Amino acid sequence: MAKQLIELIVNGDRYEVAVEPGASLAEVLREELYLTGTKVGCNQGDCGACTVLVDGRSVSSCLTLAVEAHQREVTTIEGLAPSGETLHPLQEAFIEKGAVQCGFCSAGMILAAKALLDRNPAPSPEEIRHGLSGNLCRCTGYVKIVEAIQAASLKLAAGKEAR
Amino acid sequence: MNHPSIIGASIPRLDGRAKVTGRAIYTDDIKAPGMLFGALLRSPIPHGRIKRIDVSKARALAGVKDVIVGADTPQIKYGNWRLVPASQDELPLAVDKVRFVGDEVAAVAAVSSDIAQRALELIEVEYEELPAIYSVEEATAEGAPLIHEESQGNVSLVRKIEYGDLEEWFAKADLILEDEFKVHAVSHAYLEPCSSLAVPDEGGRVTLYTSTQTPYIVQCLLAHTLGIPENYVRVMKTQVGGGFGGKMELRPWEFSASFMALRTGLPVKFTLNRAEELSYGRRRHPMSIYSKVGFSKDGKLLAKDFQVMLDGGAYNAMGPTATFLCGTFGNMLYNFPAYRYYGRHVYTNKPPASAMRGFGAPQAAFANETQLNLAAEKLGIDPIEIRLINAMQTGDVIPDVATVSSCGFKECLEKVREISGWDAKRQAKTPNKGLGVGCFSFISGGVFNWFDTKYNFSAAEVKVFDDGTAQLASMACDIGQGTDTVLRQILAAELGISIEKIRLIAMDTAATPKADLGSWGSRVTLMNGNAVIQAARKIKDMLVPVLFSQFDLNQIHDVAFEGDEVFVKANPKKRMSFAECVYKALRGRRGEPLSAYGYYTPRDKGLVSPAFSFGAQVAEVSVDEDTGLVTVDQMYTAHDCGVAINKMAVEGQLEGAIQMGLGYTLSEQFVMREGHTLNNTFLDYKMPTAEDMPPSVYAEVETYEPEGPFGAKEAGEGLAIPTAPAIAHGVFEATGFRCRKLPITPERLLRGMGKLR
Amino acid sequence: MPTPRFTFHQPQNLEQALDLVGMYRTNGKILAGGTDLVPKLRAGLMDVHHVVSLNRVPGLNRITFHEDDGLVIGAGARLADVALNPEVMKHYPGLAHACSVMATTQIRNMGTVAGNIVNSAPSADTAAPLLAYKAAVILVERGGRRHVPLTEFFSGPGLNVMEPMEIMEAIRVPSPPRRSGSAYLRLSARSKVDIAAVGVAGFLALDMDGVIIEARLALAAVAPTPLRCPEAEAMLAGQKPDPQLLTRAAAACVRACRPIDDVRATAAYRRKMVQVLAGRVIEQCYQTAERGDA
Repeated sequence: MAKQLIELIVNGDRYEVAVEPGASLAEVLREELYLTGTKVGCNQGDCGACTVLVDGRSVSSCLTLAVEAHQREVTTIEGLAPSGETLHPLQEAFIEKGAVQCGFCSAGMILAAKALLDRNPAPSPEEIRHGLSGNLCRCTGYVKIVEAIQAASLKLAAGKEAR
Repeated sequence: MNHPSIIGASIPRLDGRAKVTGRAIYTDDIKAPGMLFGALLRSPIPHGRIKRIDVSKARALAGVKDVIVGADTPQIKYGNWRLVPASQDELPLAVDKVRFVGDEVAAVAAVSSDIAQRALELIEVEYEELPAIYSVEEATAEGAPLIHEESQGNVSLVRKIEYGDLEEWFAKADLILEDEFKVHAVSHAYLEPCSSLAVPDEGGRVTLYTSTQTPYIVQCLLAHTLGIPENYVRVMKTQVGGGFGGKMELRPWEFSASFMALRTGLPVKFTLNRAEELSYGRRRHPMSIYSKVGFSKDGKLLAKDFQVMLDGGAYNAMGPTATFLCGTFGNMLYNFPAYRYYGRHVYTNKPPASAMRGFGAPQAAFANETQLNLAAEKLGIDPIEIRLINAMQTGDVIPDVATVSSCGFKECLEKVREISGWDAKRQAKTPNKGLGVGCFSFISGGVFNWFDTKYNFSAAEVKVFDDGTAQLASMACDIGQGTDTVLRQILAAELGISIEKIRLIAMDTAATPKADLGSWGSRVTLMNGNAVIQAARKIKDMLVPVLFSQFDLNQIHDVAFEGDEVFVKANPKKRMSFAECVYKALRGRRGEPLSAYGYYTPRDKGLVSPAFSFGAQVAEVSVDEDTGLVTVDQMYTAHDCGVAINKMAVEGQLEGAIQMGLGYTLSEQFVMREGHTLNNTFLDYKMPTAEDMPPSVYAEVETYEPEGPFGAKEAGEGLAIPTAPAIAHGVFEATGFRCRKLPITPERLLRGMGKLR
Repeated sequence: MPTPRFTFHQPQNLEQALDLVGMYRTNGKILAGGTDLVPKLRAGLMDVHHVVSLNRVPGLNRITFHEDDGLVIGAGARLADVALNPEVMKHYPGLAHACSVMATTQIRNMGTVAGNIVNSAPSADTAAPLLAYKAAVILVERGGRRHVPLTEFFSGPGLNVMEPMEIMEAIRVPSPPRRSGSAYLRLSARSKVDIAAVGVAGFLALDMDGVIIEARLALAAVAPTPLRCPEAEAMLAGQKPDPQLLTRAAAACVRACRPIDDVRATAAYRRKMVQVLAGRVIEQCYQTAERGDA
C-alpha cells in the first residue's frame, strides 16, 4: 500500500509525483502540483467541474485514479493559455459572451467544450447542449455558455481558413 | 433619461480572465504553511439529547492536533436576527441537544484530511433519542414534542399584516376562492461547496478566508461566538462559487476553523463535500399555504386572507426574514383594499431552511399566481387581462410598506402577451400543449435592520490618484452575479474615467469601509451603487475648484467629468485631464490624499424596500400524457429592473433564474425519510442540465427608479419567482390538471390526470 | 472521505492480469473505466487490498463487427466509442442509444460497456438492449474461457455469476437478421442524460409478410436484475402487431417486472412506464423492421 511514483505530463510539463494509489487525479493536480484551476464540485463524477483532458478526451478527474494517468498527456485549464497573454478562443469567448459568472464550473466547462470542438469543429446548439450535459452550472442557465462555444467554433474555423 | 454610455453597457466581468484561466482563487485553493485540515462530526439522529461524548481516542490518533465539542467552546448562541436576541437559537457545536440529522457535534483538526476523517470515527457519542417531527402540521399539533423548549408550540416567530376590513370586502365579493398549496424544499446547489480557512494572527486575532456572501455578518457573529472584539476578526471573502442565499450566515465550520486556529496557533481549513451540502445544507423553505381571495365579477381583487406555515427545520437561520417577506409578497404585485397575512415560522427536525433566491417570494407567488389563474378561469377573464386589472402602478401604495416609485408591470404584461403570441396561441389550442403565465415583484434590498448594525447598510471609499486612476474599496460581495463590475461601472460613470483605471478592493473587512450587509435581497446594485455615487461626488467636489481657479470661472459655471477629462460644460475647450486635475488638487491640498467615503442607508422608505422590480413570464409547455413528462418548449419574459447598469449581467441573471425555476418546478426536490436526506448526490438531486433548458426570449421594460443609482433597481432574485406558477399554469392548460403542490413530477401529474392510481 | 488504501497493479497483458486476479481473488477488484469502482472504494464500501487495472492490456478496447459473427465489444471499449461506432449505430441502434445517453459525456469517455454489465446494477443501461440483442459475455480465467448468455449472467442487484478469478474479456452480440428492428427507450425525471428510472429495450424480426418471427423484450431498473420478458415475447411471435396486441404484450412486460419504490420513482409509476414504454418500443421496432432490410 505504499505510494507509487508516477510520471504525469501536464500541459506539456513532466512531473514525477509519489501518490497513493487511491488518490484521484483531481486531488494530485490540486494538492501536489498546485494546479488549482481544476475544481471539485461533487467528487462523484456528477457535476463536471473537475473535467480535464487525458490524451485529448474529457474525463472526470475526480473519478480518475492518478496512477492511471501515468505517462499520459493531461490538459488542465492552466494549459489552455500557458503564457497568460494569449487566451484560447474558447476562453476569450467565455469572457466576451458573459458565459462566466461565479466561475466555479468554468474550467470544466471550457475543457469539455474543447474536447467537443476537437471532435466536432462546427457543432449545432443541440450538439453543444448534449456535449455539455455532464457539466452543471447554477448561475448562467447555460445560455451564454452555448453562445460562447458557438462563437469560439466560428473563430477557430476562421483561424484555420486564414492559415 | 440621459446617462453616461457606460451605464447599460455589456461590459464583460472584470474577473473573467482570472476565472477562465483557472487563476481565480477560491477558498479551498489556498494552502497556508502548517495548515491543518478540519472535519465535522454530525448527529446521525434527527432529535436527541447528548448523554456523553468521549473524544479521547480521536485525540490520541497520531496527526490529530485538536478536537473540540460544544463544552469546549464559549457556548454563545447566534443568529442573523440580532435585533431579536430570542431568535438567536443556534450554537456552533451542539451542547445539550441535537435537532436534525447533520447537526454539528464535534470538530477535528489534523495534519491531513484523511486523518481528520479517521478521527471522526473514533469519537464516541451517546444519544438519548427523542421523538422527532417532520412536518409543520405535526409540529403545531397539540402536545407535539418541543424542538426548542423555549418556543411556543414549535412556532419560533409570527408575522401578521392586516389592513382593510376583510369581512366587509369578502361580503362584497362575487367570487370567493379558498385553496391550499404546498411547496417543497430545494437546494441552492451552488457549485462550490462551502470552504473556510482560518489563519491565526498575532495578539489573539484571526483572519478567516471564507466562501460567504456576507463578510460583515460573519465577522460580527464570529467575534461574538468566539467572545473576542469584532475588530479582532478579519474576514477575507475569496472568489465565491455561487451563493443564492445559502452562504449568508455564520456557519459551524467558520467558527470551528477560527476557534481551533486560535487554540493551536495553526491555520485550519474546512471544506465540505457535496453529500454534506445536500444532506445537511440550507435549503428553500417548504411552506403550507392557505389562501382565500375575493373578486368582483369584473375581475377586481378585493380581499385576501393569506395564511402560511414555513417549515423552518431545526433552527431559525434566515427564516424570520422569509416569514416577513412572504407576507409582503402576498400584496406587492396587485392593488387591493383588504389583506390579512398570518405567517408562522415552525421548527421541525430537518436541516434548517434559510434564505434562497426570492426569499419567500417563489412560494408565495406559486400560490398567489395560481389562484389568480383559477379566478380568471372562473370569471371567464383572460389570465393576463385579470392581472392588468389589478396590477400595481407607479405611485401606488403598498399599504404600510411603501409607495412604489417606479413600476413597469403593466407594460411587462402587455409586452409578454405580444412576444409570446399569447392571444393567437390560446385561440388555436393544441392538444397536450399549453401557455401559462406567472408574474413577480421583488425588493431592491431590505429596509428592516434585523441585523441591528450600527453602521450604514452600504459604504464605499473612493481614492483618486494623479496618474488618472482610482481605487474603490467596498465590502460589497461579488458571488458571481457581477457586482464587482457593476460597481466599477457606476464609479466610472460618475467620475467620467475609464473602467480599466479603477482598482477594486473588496472582500476584506479590515480594508474596506464599514459596513455592508452583504449580497442578499437583491440589494447591492441599489445600495452600494448609491454609496459609490456619494463618495464619487465628494471627490468631484474636491476637484471642481481646480478648474475654477485654473480657468478663472464665473460662479455660474458647471463642470463635467467625461472621457478621463474634466471640462467646463458651457465651454468644453476649457479642459484638463482627470489626472492633471487630481495632481493640481493634490498640490492645493499640500499632499493630503484625495479620498472620500459614501454611504447608503434607506431612510424614510417604509418597512420593506426602497424600490421594487416587476415582471411577467409566459411558459409554453408540452406534456407527454402517457409518461407525465413535462417539456418547457419556450420561455418568454418581460421585466422591469429600472435602468440596467450592465445588460449582459442582467441577461445572465434572467437565464440563470430560469434554470433554477425550472428545477424548482419540475425536477428538484429532497427525498427524505425520518429526517435523512436520501438523494444527496447530483445524480439524484436533479437540477437541469444544458439539455433541459428551454429556449428563452425576453424584453426589458425600462423605467427610471428615482432611488436607484442611474435609475437602476434589482434584477437578481425577482426573476426566480414567476417560473413555477407559469409552468404550472401551462401544465393546466395542457392537461386540465391544476397542480397545487410542487414539484410537478411526472408521477404527480399522471396521478392528477387520473392516469395512475 | 479518506483516500482508499490499496495496491495498484497495471498488468501489460491478459496473462499477467489473470495471474493477478487469481492471486488476489479474495480481496482484489478489477478496474476498467473506474466510474463505478472508484466512488465505491472511496465510500469505504468494499474491503479491497488490490486493484488490477485492465487499461494497459492491449487489444481489450476493440469493437469489431462481421456480418456472420456479429459484434464483439472488448472489455476495455469505452461507452462513448461504442455509441459512436458506425456499425453499432447501424445494426444495434438500441445499444448505441443506451451508450450515448447514460451518465455524462465524461463518464462515457471513461466507463466501459463491460464494466456496466459487470457492475450489474438493476438500472444498468446497456443491459436491456444487450439482453434484447441476445448478447453473451466471454469470461476468461487461467486455462479456461466460457461464454455465458446474458440471460444467465445476472443474479441479483450488483451480483452475477462471475467467479472471482475471472475477467470479462468481451461481449458478443449476434448479427441481427434482415428485416429486424430494435430500440431502447428510457425515462428519468431529468433530461435524456441521466440514470434511468425505467428502461425498455426491444428487438423484432419479421418475415416477408410482416409477421413477427422473433420478439425479444428486456427491462432495466424495474427488478433486482435487468431481465427479459418471455411471456410478452411469446405473445408477439407469429403475429402482426395491432393496438390490442401491443397493449397485451406491454401488460405482460409489466407482469415480468418487480419494481421497488426508491428516490427515482415509485413502483407504481415504474409499472405504468413499463406499459407505456414497452408499447412504444414494440411499435418503433416494428416500424424500423418493416422499413429496412438491414
